Amino acid sequence: MTKPLVWDLADLLNADLGKAALWAAPSVRSFATSRLPYPLLEPFSPLTGEMNSLVVIGGGTLIDAAKVWLHEHAPGVRLIAIPSIWGSGAEASPIAVVNQDDQKIICKDQSYLPHARVVWPELAHSIPLDKARAGCGDCWAHALEAFLSPLATAELQVQLAELMTAMLALPLANDSRWFEISAAACACQAQAGVGLIHGIAHTLEIPLRIAQAGMGWGHARLCAIFLWPVMSLNRIASGKWDTLVAHHHLPGDAIMTVLQDLFDAESYRHALPHLAAHWETVLRDPCTRTNSLLVRPRHLAHFETFAAA
Amino acid sequence: MTNYEKLKNLLVDVFLLEPSEFRPDLTRNEIDSWDSLGVVSMAVGIEETFGHHLTPEEATGVKSVQDIMNILRARGVVFDD
Repeated sequence: MTKPLVWDLADLLNADLGKAALWAAPSVRSFATSRLPYPLLEPFSPLTGEMNSLVVIGGGTLIDAAKVWLHEHAPGVRLIAIPSIWGSGAEASPIAVVNQDDQKIICKDQSYLPHARVVWPELAHSIPLDKARAGCGDCWAHALEAFLSPLATAELQVQLAELMTAMLALPLANDSRWFEISAAACACQAQAGVGLIHGIAHTLEIPLRIAQAGMGWGHARLCAIFLWPVMSLNRIASGKWDTLVAHHHLPGDAIMTVLQDLFDAESYRHALPHLAAHWETVLRDPCTRTNSLLVRPRHLAHFETFAAA
Repeated sequence: MTNYEKLKNLLVDVFLLEPSEFRPDLTRNEIDSWDSLGVVSMAVGIEETFGHHLTPEEATGVKSVQDIMNILRARGVVFDD
């Protein structure tokens, strides 16, 4: 798989980008415009002149939206992606997850792969702790689901086992090393697919945002909350989890402790009625269908009793 | 539970069918969800239920319920019990 170039800030500033413009997420707009020399554009605004490169700084949603927008409106313009938070790994993958008719649609196209991704460690300090932790959950969801995926090759499993060993050594907090972990985990999941955690996150994100506006529901938070319940199901209902983890000398119990640390019981209780209401959609989600365990209608009971426990 | 019932329950869950829709002569063309991801789910489910791993070639080559039964019979699974 082709990978984007990996730059630091100096590489970016020294690169010949031709005529470049900047999209910046609101949370980092003033930070970005004070340090980057490119004119700020409102995302999705029509192009009024020639543009050779678009520098996008933001989370996975903005980076993915830029991939699709460039593909449709400005093919050939280079995308330079600067993640302002870890988790999605959008800066490192040819996949874009976009909202369409109140649904999350997964699109894959090699042209979506950014030309370069920029690692800017200073941004780690601008991330609120709850979002940083949720991003760690998204990284863990990518790594574990790709590792367990029925589509994962033995070689990919070795890579992911090494990656997860490195992840276990990191705090679930603001640490800029998560930027690199996030890109690596996403590149792996682009090869093997993900699983039920992502099936749930993709299905519930929009209904929860509508029903519980103001509660800050988002993809990464849903991944972080459902990691422990889903991996518990995978581990209980199939021997594959323990077999693979042992085969790769991973500390299974230590991994489960991390997932438990990311669990938020109150948020889980708020999400649970929506999981029940949308369970059939979850079962039909393409991500669910590459879960390591065959997810069956009866498995909803696991989540309902998990809440009680 | 007989092996036939196990297979029926499995495929009803994999392809999200109504139990009444299941027939032993069902073919892939009749089931919308029997797509490439359905093939993956089916292979995972067969391994979980019967302990037999389908190679990617076997899994993608299956065109009907009968084909699945034939593969499993060849591995010693009895369906007329």
